[in-house]
Amino acid sequence: MIDLLGTHYNYLVFVALVAIGLYGVTASTNLVKKIIGLNIFQVGIFLFFVTSGYVDGAAPPLVGHGSGPYASPLPHVLILTAIVVGVSLTAVALALIVRIYEAYGTLDEDAIREVQLND
Amino acid sequence: MSHADSDQTYVESTIIMTTVRVVVPFVFTFGLFVMFHGAESAGGGFQGGVIVASAVLLLAFAFGIEPTREWLEGPLVKTTIAVGGATFAFVGLGALAMNGAFLEYEAYGFGSDGVKYGIELVELAIGAIVSGVLISLFFSLASGDFLVVSANNGIEAEPSENAANGSDDAASDSDNGSDDGVDASVGATGGELA
Amino acid sequence: MTTVSTTLAIVLTFSVLAALAAIFLRDVLNAIIAFAAFSFGIAVAWILLAAPDVALTEAAVGAGITTVLFLVTIAKTVRPSGERLLEAVEWRSVAIVVLLVGTLLTTVRSLPAVGSADAPVATSRVTEYYLQNAYPETGVENAVTAVLAAYRGFDTLGEATVVIAAGVAVLLVLRQEAYV
Repeated sequence: MIDLLGTHYNYLVFVALVAIGLYGVTASTNLVKKIIGLNIFQVGIFLFFVTSGYVDGAAPPLVGHGSGPYASPLPHVLILTAIVVGVSLTAVALALIVRIYEAYGTLDEDAIREVQLND
Repeated sequence: MSHADSDQTYVESTIIMTTVRVVVPFVFTFGLFVMFHGAESAGGGFQGGVIVASAVLLLAFAFGIEPTREWLEGPLVKTTIAVGGATFAFVGLGALAMNGAFLEYEAYGFGSDGVKYGIELVELAIGAIVSGVLISLFFSLASGDFLVVSANNGIEAEPSENAANGSDDAASDSDNGSDDGVDASVGATGGELA
Repeated sequence: MTTVSTTLAIVLTFSVLAALAAIFLRDVLNAIIAFAAFSFGIAVAWILLAAPDVALTEAAVGAGITTVLFLVTIAKTVRPSGERLLEAVEWRSVAIVVLLVGTLLTTVRSLPAVGSADAPVATSRVTEYYLQNAYPETGVENAVTAVLAAYRGFDTLGEATVVIAAGVAVLLVLRQEAYV
């Protein structure tokens, strides 16, 4: 296990971030903090992808300047678009949260459920 | 644009306003540079678009969200998004019309330079989409009626109506006037950050 | 055998600590600031992992725009803050998380070492094709741009559509009456 720390550090961090994100989504009762957890979960996945394309001592994939080794450009492209799509969807989630607040007057999951039961 | 918000919660900070006034032109230029220079160095439409959007967000936080929104009012952001999307789609479909595959830049017959400039054009289109959408996302979250105002001005045949009145009308028509509290509390964030 | 560089390890450890702070701080404003710090750390990590394009985007989006969107949201709604600094631990969630971590950790050992030159992605034919042909075929030196706009252009058009759709969705959610 200790040798994994030396060679697989990024993957361990990936596991840690996904765990923290999942904990945030499931444990927080505040909806905004759930979205923060979702974002952390997402970054964990990004780390897994970008790490998979990395080679020791690799240059960024700017081909035509000198010679390799280069990092694989494909994970970079996927993650680049995923980040922008991620922020757009975060905005949609936050807009829904604003509407939920207008309807229920609270952002606490348990309080919202209580209001729903009372109606 | 530097006048304070009418609500008392927005605190005008000389330090932040001066800093932002100096920094924003460079951030904006850097964003455009990243967008235009995506072929030779790190950068491209997504990267440049988010930097341009963050420059506008800086302005909103230094000078208040409402004044920035009024400054940007009109069809500018909406047009940027539409032109970006249309450019991307038409570059792709144009290749089909030239008997190539979708987005096959070689089909335009400009040689290898043509491929490069086609890619640049698509990157600029992506930059326009990303920056425009992110700016409008921010303003719609912050005040709720950014693009709606310009859309209403287009739909209703009342071009004489000025922008400020238009925004008030749209707010009270569609949301029972709940915007007032909202704007005040948004100003509060600006104040806290300042 | 390769080892992860010390700098990268420090930056990633900082990011994990900031992520923990973002989840466990009780005040939502504190959590958002911790999230911004987390994004900044991750942006530095992208640079160290030879992904400058991703780093540019993450720095502007994660540490900038996402944080501002969160701030605007809590300004429009409420900012719950208790007397305690940290959240209480929710043990049922811990149980779920332990299950997930246990499952993932069994697979970590099978993954190639970070940065090893014979990792499947680094040696795959797709990667080799892009690195060798991107410049001759498109005249674009940045392979990321070439893949984004040329080889995977259709995919990128889809992504742009999603971004526009998200913008429309926010308008619809916040202002139903104006459009529906």
